[in-house]
Amino acid sequence: MRFWPRHVRSRLTLWYVVVLGGVLVLYAGGALLFLLLSLREELDRNLVEDVETVEGLLANEPGGFVSFRTMHPEENDSSLQRFVEVWSPTGSLLYRSPLLQGQALGRPPKPDGDTGEPEPFSQRLANGLRVRTASSTYHIEDRPIVLRVAHSEEGLWRELREFLWVLLLAFPVALLLAGVGGYALARKALAPIDTMSHRAERISADRLHERLPVGNPEDELGKLASVFNVMLARLEAGFEQLRRFTADASHELRTPLTAIRSVGEVALQDQKSPPEYRDVIGSMLEEVDRLTRLVENLLALSRADAGHIQLQRADLSLLTLAHEARSLVEVLAEEKQQRIAVDGDDPDLRVSADRLILRQAIVNLLDNAIKYSPVERRIVIRVRRGGDSQVFLEVIDQGPGIPTEHRSRVFERFYRVDSARTREWGGAGLGLSIVQWAVEAHGGEITLESEEGRGCTFRMSLPLTRIPNPKRNKGGTQ
Amino acid sequence: MRILLVEDEAKVARALKEGLDREQYKVVVARTGEEGFYLVNAEEFDLVILDVMLPGRDGLQVLSTLRKRGLGTPVLILTARDAVEDRVQGLDTGADDYLVKPFAFPELLARIRALSRRGRPEQALQLRYADLELDVVARKVKRNGKEVDLTAREFELLEYLLHHREQVVSREMLARDVWKETSRATPLDNVIDVHIARLRRKVDDPFDRKLIQTVRGVGFVLREEK
Repeated sequence: MRFWPRHVRSRLTLWYVVVLGGVLVLYAGGALLFLLLSLREELDRNLVEDVETVEGLLANEPGGFVSFRTMHPEENDSSLQRFVEVWSPTGSLLYRSPLLQGQALGRPPKPDGDTGEPEPFSQRLANGLRVRTASSTYHIEDRPIVLRVAHSEEGLWRELREFLWVLLLAFPVALLLAGVGGYALARKALAPIDTMSHRAERISADRLHERLPVGNPEDELGKLASVFNVMLARLEAGFEQLRRFTADASHELRTPLTAIRSVGEVALQDQKSPPEYRDVIGSMLEEVDRLTRLVENLLALSRADAGHIQLQRADLSLLTLAHEARSLVEVLAEEKQQRIAVDGDDPDLRVSADRLILRQAIVNLLDNAIKYSPVERRIVIRVRRGGDSQVFLEVIDQGPGIPTEHRSRVFERFYRVDSARTREWGGAGLGLSIVQWAVEAHGGEITLESEEGRGCTFRMSLPLTRIPNPKRNKGGTQ
Repeated sequence: MRILLVEDEAKVARALKEGLDREQYKVVVARTGEEGFYLVNAEEFDLVILDVMLPGRDGLQVLSTLRKRGLGTPVLILTARDAVEDRVQGLDTGADDYLVKPFAFPELLARIRALSRRGRPEQALQLRYADLELDVVARKVKRNGKEVDLTAREFELLEYLLHHREQVVSREMLARDVWKETSRATPLDNVIDVHIARLRRKVDDPFDRKLIQTVRGVGFVLREEK
């Protein structure tokens, strides 16, 4: 493959030329064969006529030999040379025209008159002359003889050679034209790719907003460019998200660091009593705690992104899980005189899930619901079937709801509807991201429905585990 | 009780040594894996606290060599990498326990106590502190002779505090040991605070001497106010 050209357009051209060459060779072969056959057919017709002519000229000679009655003078013209041999059926030579100069026109015939050769046939004489030979059995005055007449084929072969030469001269011209034309065509067809690759080279991480030119969106190259552009758009979105994430993360990390620093610096400015120092250190430790938790959450999410968290799946009742989550955070609701109700009574709604991870997701949702709902409101965890293969777990609160413009982004990392208020409660805006990851890791989906001023509903839909249900089996005839 | 602390970070080593000294442990600090290795072979220790990320030979290499030589001393490893593989690898190498940095100091103390107690678990059926009594079997609590009515969770919380009396317990320890919540990402801090507040209301509020103290930024401790 060392000679394989590097560029697609050269390869395409090479292909054109090779294929065209093959076609031409096949065509030339066919034409030559057709020419040969038709020339031979004409020669054979002449031969048969000649055989009949020669028959009429034969005469018996004494001693069993035969002779020709007349000799045309023009027969000396070698192009019209006619070679004649006459054999007796027993295989003895009766006559041979002098033109043959003693060379045989084939083997002696068998006694039954079979000449042993197909009729007519081509052969090469001893002196290299190619001839076409026809035989026939004939009776002169009741004496059977075998008559052989041959014509030279040299004229025929000359004609074939000339034709071949014409073809051979035309070939390179045709191939050259095909090559030049093919190259130009390939170049023209591939030109958009060149443009695209030049443009693509210029698109770097900083210039992801640029797009490739789409010539004709219907053709292959146009489609390719469109696909690239869609990919670029996704990349741009990804980079944008990463940029925002980095900015948000550093902001979140900087906030507790700033607090630690200023609390420490201020405390060192003047003498304080031990209890006062204690208080300062405690306050710094609280910030450290927040920092630690933030880093841990980030780590958990990045491990999840990298697919390093393996779910310890077990068959769980979603209702039981809902009760567990409720009992875990119920005290927080009680502090605000809120009530958490579990709505659902089918313990057979089971999912294959990692208990801790899924419970954490539910706890996060409940935690949010408690935080954002005013006092004395009701929070409902509803577990219900959602179609044939899904089960829904909804956390419904009666809080202020989430404005439309924020709804699509609440699952983004560090995204907060009201940042000042949330930070007061110690959130870093990662809770819902963790919920989303947990639900998606279980093959489910999380959605948010909200009406401003009337609360919101977070709905996890998870794949239902199929387990044999004895009750349903019994009642199968219903 | 003699403890060997192998830790290269000077600040951390000094803080840990000071904290452990205050708890009446005798602490020797080694700053590299080689030094630690030499000290373990030269002297007798009851416990080794080993940082995994060390310059030169890392903690796990030191540990596996020591274990191959038949060292039976309990080893507690400190790892900064919060990855499951690291923990598993550490425990496979022969560590008895591990702590992920950054850890709370009370947590380290609790682990050290657990390791030195290993093999002879404390199985008191009656826990007492000051005028507080807790009956593990009957699940009854009395303060100053009067019965205090607690919920199951409050009972477990108080039992844990009594087990660790006069020792600071962090919220993280409570989340893990009382709530059995292993994931540190679960937001339980507020839940714990509410439970402590309620426990306080029942156990401390009616009495003059307060037993449950908050150590700001660290956690809680069951201790008589002086």
